[in-house]
Amino acid sequence: MERIVQGMSITEVLGILRQADGYYVTNTARDLSQSDFKNRILLHTDLLAGESRERAAYFSLEITGGASIHVDILRKQVDPFLKLELLREKMPHTMFQTLCRGVNLFGYRPYPPNVIRLVVREFAKYVDVWRVFDFMNHIPNMQAVFEEVQKAGKILEPSICFSTGPEHTDAFYVKKVGEILAVTGDEILLCIKNHGGLGTPKRIGELVAAIKQKYPELIVHYHGHNTDGNDIGRITAAVLNGATIVDAADHAFTGYYGPPPILSVVHTLKEHGKTAIGLDEQAVIDTSETLRNEREHYEYFESQFKGFLPTVQIHKLPGGAMGSSFEQAVKGKFLDRMPEILHKELPKVQVELGNWWSVTPGSQILWTTAVSNVMGGERYGNPSGDLKNLLLGKYGPFPFYQPADWIYEKVFGPEWRAILEKEGGMAEIEDIDIEKEREALAKRLGHAPTDQQLVTYLQHPNDAVNFFKFEEKFGRVYVLPPSIMFRRGGFKLGETIKFRDHFGKEHIIEVGPKQKSEAGESNIYLNVDHHQRLFVFQEETTENAAAAAKPAQLNKDEITELAKTGDIRAPFGANVCEILVEEDQEVKAGDRLVVLEAMKMQTPVVSTVDGTVVQLFTALGKTVQPGDKLVRIVTDE
Amino acid sequence: MKKKILVANRGEIALRIIRSIQELGYAAVGIYETPDSEALHIRTADEAIWLGDGPRRDYLNIDKVIKAAQKAKADAIHPGYGFLAENPDLSQACEEAGIIFIGPSAEVIRNLGDKVTARRIMQEAGIPLVPGTKDLSRGEAGVEEAKAFAAQYDYPVMLKATAGGGGRGIRRVDNEAQLLAEIPAARSEAKAAFNNDSVYLEKLVINPKHVEVQIIADNFGNTVHLGTRDCSIQRRNQKLVEIAPSLIQDQALIDKICETAVKAAKAANYTNAGTVEFLVDQDMNYFFMEINTRLQVEHTVTEMVTGIDIVRTQIKLALGKQLAFTQDDVKLRGHAIEMRINAEDPQNNFMPEGGKTVSVYRSPGGYGVRLDGFVYQGFTIPEVYDSLLVKLTVFGFSWNETVDRLRRCLKNFVIVGPKTTIPYYLKLIEDPDFRKGDFNTSFLDTHPHLIEYTDQDNEVNKLARLIAEIHFKQENPYAV
Repeated sequence: MERIVQGMSITEVLGILRQADGYYVTNTARDLSQSDFKNRILLHTDLLAGESRERAAYFSLEITGGASIHVDILRKQVDPFLKLELLREKMPHTMFQTLCRGVNLFGYRPYPPNVIRLVVREFAKYVDVWRVFDFMNHIPNMQAVFEEVQKAGKILEPSICFSTGPEHTDAFYVKKVGEILAVTGDEILLCIKNHGGLGTPKRIGELVAAIKQKYPELIVHYHGHNTDGNDIGRITAAVLNGATIVDAADHAFTGYYGPPPILSVVHTLKEHGKTAIGLDEQAVIDTSETLRNEREHYEYFESQFKGFLPTVQIHKLPGGAMGSSFEQAVKGKFLDRMPEILHKELPKVQVELGNWWSVTPGSQILWTTAVSNVMGGERYGNPSGDLKNLLLGKYGPFPFYQPADWIYEKVFGPEWRAILEKEGGMAEIEDIDIEKEREALAKRLGHAPTDQQLVTYLQHPNDAVNFFKFEEKFGRVYVLPPSIMFRRGGFKLGETIKFRDHFGKEHIIEVGPKQKSEAGESNIYLNVDHHQRLFVFQEETTENAAAAAKPAQLNKDEITELAKTGDIRAPFGANVCEILVEEDQEVKAGDRLVVLEAMKMQTPVVSTVDGTVVQLFTALGKTVQPGDKLVRIVTDE
Repeated sequence: MKKKILVANRGEIALRIIRSIQELGYAAVGIYETPDSEALHIRTADEAIWLGDGPRRDYLNIDKVIKAAQKAKADAIHPGYGFLAENPDLSQACEEAGIIFIGPSAEVIRNLGDKVTARRIMQEAGIPLVPGTKDLSRGEAGVEEAKAFAAQYDYPVMLKATAGGGGRGIRRVDNEAQLLAEIPAARSEAKAAFNNDSVYLEKLVINPKHVEVQIIADNFGNTVHLGTRDCSIQRRNQKLVEIAPSLIQDQALIDKICETAVKAAKAANYTNAGTVEFLVDQDMNYFFMEINTRLQVEHTVTEMVTGIDIVRTQIKLALGKQLAFTQDDVKLRGHAIEMRINAEDPQNNFMPEGGKTVSVYRSPGGYGVRLDGFVYQGFTIPEVYDSLLVKLTVFGFSWNETVDRLRRCLKNFVIVGPKTTIPYYLKLIEDPDFRKGDFNTSFLDTHPHLIEYTDQDNEVNKLARLIAEIHFKQENPYAV
């Protein structure tokens, strides 16, 4: 049997797949990292696993896309392009796969068409298989990506997002598949994207069978999550009913919310007479032997909530959002309310808002709305900006039904019909001047950016600049293992750290003493390649430390009362992602002042008064606590 | 009894002189002010005498220096450069106290220190001079003299303090309005700086090369030169880079300049080591500028290309020996470049970095490398003195080889604590004009981009910084 390797055309690949006697496996390392380790698995670890993963001869390795590109620069300090370059060196044959959110690319809201095309073109240089989805299954939202992937000669894999409920019939999905094929032509793979791991094996089997019956030549790639512990059942049913490729992951890293272990899938299907074509089982075992040693260093990022969660069939949160949801619950101190949120409120919100697919960014909208409904007291009383956009149809038309009028009234007030009339519907996003953005980035960096830097910047401007500056200051840190990058509590005196730098030079750093100077500075001595170096750090002043430790003093009502006097406070803990006013600017009630981002959702803070901005208390990228001052407005009267 | 020589200086030059004293088998006596209590020159000297709390005023106190020499029973005093080196009163006081002053006589220092007297002596000896005036008369008469001079030679002209030196007390004047405004200003500045308000005018030579000649003369009428140096690369008239010999290709011209220097020294009855400075204009005319009556900072480059220890020679001549070599014995070989590595932040207007502790100090080594410094790991740079940390002097057979070696040495230097001029120099020597040896005194003005260097750490030091931060913060603040 001929191995499918990167560089083959879609026609060649389809030729092999259509004659396959058995099935192929995609190793979804990225989804595993996102679902069970908050996306923190480092390139260092993936490079360790590179050799045996290459040997395993997977259909593809899903190693980029989803939230990983943002987390690469934000939390792992690695260039998402460099990552693919280095992995390619280790894995010359394996096809790399990405997960792209259509018009939302690898982010949380729609990008201008020319940005989408540029980003796809740059990534297509490294990525062979493009899985593309839209959380509303709205095909026009994916069209620009479809076109660019096909233009680049890469393998396009459009998805139908899957969920359960009375609307989610085989007929509906088969029709969707037809709509996709009408746009893309026959030379695609089709993904059934079961990001929640919903439905029973029987349900998945029926769906695959229905699609294959209508489109026998179509190659179906089943993607699921093991949140309820039963994805192997669904995978088995999918393959027995005609799916050709399935997703699974390395067992040493499997947890509760990601894909199930590859070997268990292989063993199960073997009993059914189905072979994982070309798969080297020993290489799969070897990979996990390597990964097992690394897992302890990622413990901090594993879910706070242990155990499988069969109630996913009720709350439907996607595996990729589970870890971060529980993390928010812990940080927000509402872990005790989780049963109520997950099992009562979330399913209710889900149905009320249209029973579409709970996956990024829709899953975040459902989740924040449910949390806010439970924690805020009044249901839909504190709608996020993204919920408003959803209701206005900015993300696309509701596939099954529109939410009830009372929700619109709650969110937009009594004038909701007029607002919906005026602002409703998908907005045409205009192209931006990319050369102007390039100049803006050059100015911020102090030198001309590379095309790849520009692409990263266009997606996440502030985080990209911070990352580029980090790299200038600290070098290419992917060479450091997780035991260093994620160390908590500092190092032991005399501890030695050995590594090979990006250029291949071996180094040794020995940790020396840590002393406090009379001026209150901390002196840290390191022996770098046998030469002593001193690093001086300013201790945080007690004032700063006290301010940071200070709990929020104001409750929601107090914040609302202050706002009426022009003293605008942060209504919740968030990052400031946009500042829309300047000092001395006149504002009217209802004008947007700043935009806050929390839980990936953007919410504008609007003025409640007419007046003049006299002081800005915040800065772009700053983290604010509830009650922190944002803007001071002197009212007109 | 073993001879004793007191070194009336501090910093790198004190160490430099102490080395020669000790090599001669003599004892070196150091002096210091309180801020220099931890300075290396005290440790290296055989004895050291505390002068007072300073700062600077005790090093400048002739009485205290003479008393220290008497207390130590020193036979001679070497003044180094700066401080009292060109103060004729020290030479005078030594004479009176029966102590040998290692340098010229008080009269010579006085004559050459006074710009106008010096010009007169040189004019009489037929040395080419930049056209200039005598000391301007006080009041309206002086203004008229100045105007007349400008009318004859044209603007721009230089207004100079008669008692100035080392680049201080000089201002450029481009027109008559400026001239009228600057004369009183220059007078009051000169009065404050040198306690002498005399000023005079000179024609400004545009973008000249600064070429100087090391001369050395014994008390028996023998005067030789040790070839040229080029010190054109200056920042606000302060030398930064010095090379030997001058890169002027016209050997006949160089010979002429050197012969003129010897003639000038003889005309001034010069003894011991000194430097005759010339300006060479773009048409290769040369003009006498001044004679520095002391050891120069940049004497090291001459030592590298001649093989002659100038300080050792100075001491021997002062002690009454005859020059042990003739002009014919002096042979120049190869090239030498010296750079002054200062604790300064070039990107912050060369602000001194005094007060900071040198936490890491690692210097280059190898063939053709010479270091004249005084700092050590753990040394806190006193804020009250100059910012020179170490002079790096490299030697090479060809100019290219010498620049290559210089670059290597600058890269090998590790000084952590204060910011230094090293990254700036690295950028400077990468400049193609520098590499071609094509520079004059306008070099830094015509190459302003040199200041836009980035102080790039190597990869491991960058990573070490992150490890230090993880260690300090107890977790990685960039990967939480």
